[in-house]
Amino acid sequence: MMFGWTGKLIRVNLTDGTVKTEDLNQEDAKLYLGARGLGTKIWMNEVDPKVDPFSPENKLIFMTGPLTGTIGPSAGRYEVVTKAPLTGTIGASNSGGHFGPELKFAGYDGIIFEGKSETPVYLYINDDKIELRSAEHLWGKKVPETTDELLSETDPGARVACIGPAGEKLVLYATVMNDKHRAAGRSGLGAVMGSKKLKAVVVKGSRSVKVAEPKKFIDVCIDARMKIKNHPVTGTGLPTYGTQVLINVINQSGALPTRNWRDGGVFENAEDISGEALAEKYLVKNKGCFACSIGCGRVTKIKDGKFKGFGEGPEYEAGWALGADCGIKDLAAVSKANFISNEYGFDPITLGSTIACAMELFEKGIITKEEVGRSLYFGDAEAIVELAEKVGTREGFGDILAEGSYRMAERYGHPELSMSVKKQEMPAYDGRGVQGMALEYATSNRGGCHVRGYMTSPEILGVPEKLDPLVTEDKPQWLKIFQDLTAVVDSSGICLFTTFALGLPEISSMIRTALGWDCPDEEILRIGERIWNLERVFNLKAGFTKEDDTLPPRLLKEALPEGPAKGKVAELDKMLGEYYRVRGWDENGVPTEEKLKELSISF
Amino acid sequence: MKVKFFAYLRDYTKAKEIELEYCSTVDELLHRLCDRYGDEIRRKLFNGSELSNEIIILINGRHIAHLEGRNTILKEDDVISIFPVVAGG
Repeated sequence: MMFGWTGKLIRVNLTDGTVKTEDLNQEDAKLYLGARGLGTKIWMNEVDPKVDPFSPENKLIFMTGPLTGTIGPSAGRYEVVTKAPLTGTIGASNSGGHFGPELKFAGYDGIIFEGKSETPVYLYINDDKIELRSAEHLWGKKVPETTDELLSETDPGARVACIGPAGEKLVLYATVMNDKHRAAGRSGLGAVMGSKKLKAVVVKGSRSVKVAEPKKFIDVCIDARMKIKNHPVTGTGLPTYGTQVLINVINQSGALPTRNWRDGGVFENAEDISGEALAEKYLVKNKGCFACSIGCGRVTKIKDGKFKGFGEGPEYEAGWALGADCGIKDLAAVSKANFISNEYGFDPITLGSTIACAMELFEKGIITKEEVGRSLYFGDAEAIVELAEKVGTREGFGDILAEGSYRMAERYGHPELSMSVKKQEMPAYDGRGVQGMALEYATSNRGGCHVRGYMTSPEILGVPEKLDPLVTEDKPQWLKIFQDLTAVVDSSGICLFTTFALGLPEISSMIRTALGWDCPDEEILRIGERIWNLERVFNLKAGFTKEDDTLPPRLLKEALPEGPAKGKVAELDKMLGEYYRVRGWDENGVPTEEKLKELSISF
Repeated sequence: MKVKFFAYLRDYTKAKEIELEYCSTVDELLHRLCDRYGDEIRRKLFNGSELSNEIIILINGRHIAHLEGRNTILKEDDVISIFPVVAGG
């Protein structure tokens, strides 16, 4: 009997329609834990990283962690792993809600999808009953309708992960949505699902997750929950204001990228789109995911006016991308564009950043009104709502926006205006004012991303201790620990937000008591380092090199014009070589043979 | 001098920002705020006689941890921003 893990995987061949179950490889599970790590290992065992993301040979893996579905704090995460169409890197994105735990309750750690269906299908899992069903009647439908219809025709207590029209139309930043409003959001994993004609996965389970040492596990989980409850970030800040509260903090710190990162890190209308404004104007209630002791989700409603709508969010990154990055101060429009993103199923960070890039192209006269179908100045609230709809249907200029900012800017001869790394748009922290985040963007294994090593926590918030955001010293060492620990957290099945209150000792205790392991904390952190290196190997085999570990020229050459970081550029050259050295990689950013051997990485 | 308040600190100050008479140091400013808004804000700003670690104080966007802490000397035209520790992501 296995603990934490269920020990079973589902393998679905979409080409011939066969479905079977198989045992989890226990050796791999011990080395890579679950979710992000184990999903990547399984993918690497079976597929060549040079594969075309939209070919039948690319596999799409839904993977939970050993803590998913337990009473661990916020233990509701699952990861979607595949080769990402937006970046060509490893694609791994996780999501909360209730879908991941339900998959465990049905008796499975994960699902491997291979091949490609001729016609739209969905997978229905109800404990031991697993079947592929036609989804012809759902193709073209948005996420809320798809979810409601599936619950109606299967089981109202089931959980649904699906794509919207954006995934079907291969929008390069399409999401996998679950429980209507939660997203495996970045890098376009929903488009891979769409390429396979897989509309949804519906799951209902009646079992529970067994842990090795129940009494000890309960004790460490209670201790962890108390720490979360008593911490100012997780106990008060996130529940009260959600993630959008960060808008004012980052803006006052001079690091809120404004108008495609052109106008520095201070947005003059930040207060209008802040978490405080959201709470005052549109918040209906808070919402938590499975087993969550934080409850950062925002149920929001725009009651009337031209941007009337209902949904969840916006989260901080989406609020920034559709707000400050586009120069927009109308929170109703920002919220509406965010609702549309969730309904069609695409990433609002990349959407906002791509529209911001288009706005700069327009203001420079590189693209015209005829091309866009309307004028496109920074600050045009109606534009983001109209263009969000067009991306969802790939109609008109939406078809170009659907390719992301890099491909769009390259098409018009100005790739330097895309604020992306490895073709994925960077989120809401200007690396010129937060130097550790600049290094994180350049080195993240999935391109421009903040949640692989969230250096904002020490550099801006002072958690777990305050680092100076304007200096480069020690940032490579800190970033390595953050990246490795995050890989452990993502692979365990708990939410990254718990780490504002919890550190390696608490997380390790949960993993050990759930799995019945007897190993020091350092060995668990080593799992994270192993995962990070395996992801790096994926990218190197896919063709990425040191040259790709860089930032847009704007960050490297154009100094911030105002604020506390006035005069600063991102000093990547001072950090990258040291980062490679700290990682045990050679001067080209390639893990050495010794490092791979030390980490027991084989591929 | 301009003092800005954010998140739930506004529940105590009932204002997003105020103009305050010149204070020569951060410490003086914080005590002035306690005098003005009472014990509720004192409990947020201080833990006993120590500065609370649940508060972020920026002077012109720069965290006081990278200045001289509560002994930081202020200028007339400084903008002071005070937040509870919050996060996003």
